[in-house]
Amino acid sequence: MGYLVTILILGCVNVIAALGLAVLTGYTGLFSMGHAGFMAVGGYAAAILFAHLKLPFALALPGGALVAGLSSFVIGYPAFRGRLRGDYFAIATLGFAEAVRLLLNTTYKYVGGSYGFTGLPQLTSLPVALAATAAALVLAHLFVTSQHGKNCVALGEDETAAEMMGVNLLRTKLAALFVSAFYAGLAGGLYAFFMAYLSPSMFGIGKSSDLLAAVVFGGMQSLVGPALAAFILVALPEALRFLLNWRLVIYGLLFVVIMVFRPQGLLGYKEMNADWLRRMLGRGPGAAGQRDGGGR
Amino acid sequence: MILFLQQLVSGISIGAVYSLLAVGYALVYSVYNFTNWAFDAFMVTGAFAAFYAITLFALPFPVAIVLAIVLTVGVSLAVEVGAYRPLRARRAPRLFMMISAMGASMALVNLMNIAFGGAFRKFPQVVAGALVVGGVSISKMDLFAAVFSFAVLGLLWLLLERTRIGLGIRASALDTLTAGLMGVDNNGVALVIFGISGVLSAVAGIFYGAKYAVYPYLGLVTIKAMIASIIGGIGSLPGAVVGSLFLGITETLVSGYISSIYRDLFSFSILVAVLLFFPNGLLGAKTVDKL
Repeated sequence: MGYLVTILILGCVNVIAALGLAVLTGYTGLFSMGHAGFMAVGGYAAAILFAHLKLPFALALPGGALVAGLSSFVIGYPAFRGRLRGDYFAIATLGFAEAVRLLLNTTYKYVGGSYGFTGLPQLTSLPVALAATAAALVLAHLFVTSQHGKNCVALGEDETAAEMMGVNLLRTKLAALFVSAFYAGLAGGLYAFFMAYLSPSMFGIGKSSDLLAAVVFGGMQSLVGPALAAFILVALPEALRFLLNWRLVIYGLLFVVIMVFRPQGLLGYKEMNADWLRRMLGRGPGAAGQRDGGGR
Repeated sequence: MILFLQQLVSGISIGAVYSLLAVGYALVYSVYNFTNWAFDAFMVTGAFAAFYAITLFALPFPVAIVLAIVLTVGVSLAVEVGAYRPLRARRAPRLFMMISAMGASMALVNLMNIAFGGAFRKFPQVVAGALVVGGVSISKMDLFAAVFSFAVLGLLWLLLERTRIGLGIRASALDTLTAGLMGVDNNGVALVIFGISGVLSAVAGIFYGAKYAVYPYLGLVTIKAMIASIIGGIGSLPGAVVGSLFLGITETLVSGYISSIYRDLFSFSILVAVLLFFPNGLLGAKTVDKL
């Protein structure tokens, strides 16, 4: 498979996972440090469904994503139930990702332990990846513009006010987390069937940081921003190979710089769609309803 | 029985290290309502500083401890001034504080990974030998770590409860805005708090590095301290100590009697169970947002 195709497919995988995180962090205001854990669950579940339960690829992939989505309730329910602060949830996601990695690393039956899950066929072709990404983008857009999505934004801005307006906090948060984990799981499945093997080390903290970077750089309350950023972040390290080791250092510094100087990120609180294009053309730059993300 | 006592002592010594970290988290959380995710980077700074002071410059252990503390406090204050203060001044949402803290941690840890390399280094044996009390042998290093850690925590308690600076910190923890209006220098309080954080994380880093190994990602252990501070109740200093000792002792017992592989899995299960049954921790105040 060509070099360009490889980058395109890996880009699509990253975009899907980042879209999931954008729904959770960008819209609902919940900080996840363990999305690689959901990717791992989705990838391994899809692989098990395919290799051990002999399901066809077209079923194993969404099946794996569903398992990832359901697994999110393990941390979502305890962390959201008592109206606890976001910090508890962030710590729980970090713990979840580490626990998943540890479990996969030490389970040799069925999943291959630290040797990895080998012998998968390469089924994620470019059309599959592109179709999945397009579907993911459209569905995410439908979700965030639906009543559910508006509830998410409302509680992200002010939980108490949202609750007074009749938003069910627990249910809304769990729904956002489910969608988010489902997306991460789908990305994990696509990744597994592209690399043709899985290993727990593919889903470390570095991977979670990459996804978070896509959302922070792309901007809060935007889908196109994080999607673009996620794609650029895959393509860029390939172009700037000499920076390999410095990647995470630069990401980290950029996190701080962006939060201090431009917390809305690349396209925060903006969406690139037909409406946006019309406004930009009609009234010129700057008229597109820019908002400051800082004053809450 | 002897095995059990041995495990208990070992658990207390690791619990003491968790305590330092958990108290650091609780202190920052009680005043600023956010988790200082850059704590792991401070810890690694302390561990490396002490390691190189001893191996490269052949300095005695006490000097190395002081040097590590000074350096870590410097890093901690730099992060406060560069990454947190501008956001606080703008009253940025908590999410932005967390992202900024995360960024500072990523940058520092990976910078050290590039500068020193990812290898595991054995900490020189500065306190050797073991005490034998009634058949139970206690490593002197473990004992020293536990005593020193609790001494540091005791000093911190004195500072918070018996000095004017402590009064200012406690006032800020109750209500930062009002404390500022009453004449408490909020930025000064921040420097003191992040200075204390630096001391706590440096000491924790040295002892953790000495117990296991010194490597750039040793800061991952801070997740245990976070779990401990949740068990004790986020933002509560006594809770942080109780949670840490509880976690340290149960962890050592699990790895001693069941398997060390399942130790971390077990800690995570405790976290989920505590969140389910004691959402505010064992000693925590209610953490629901006020209007």
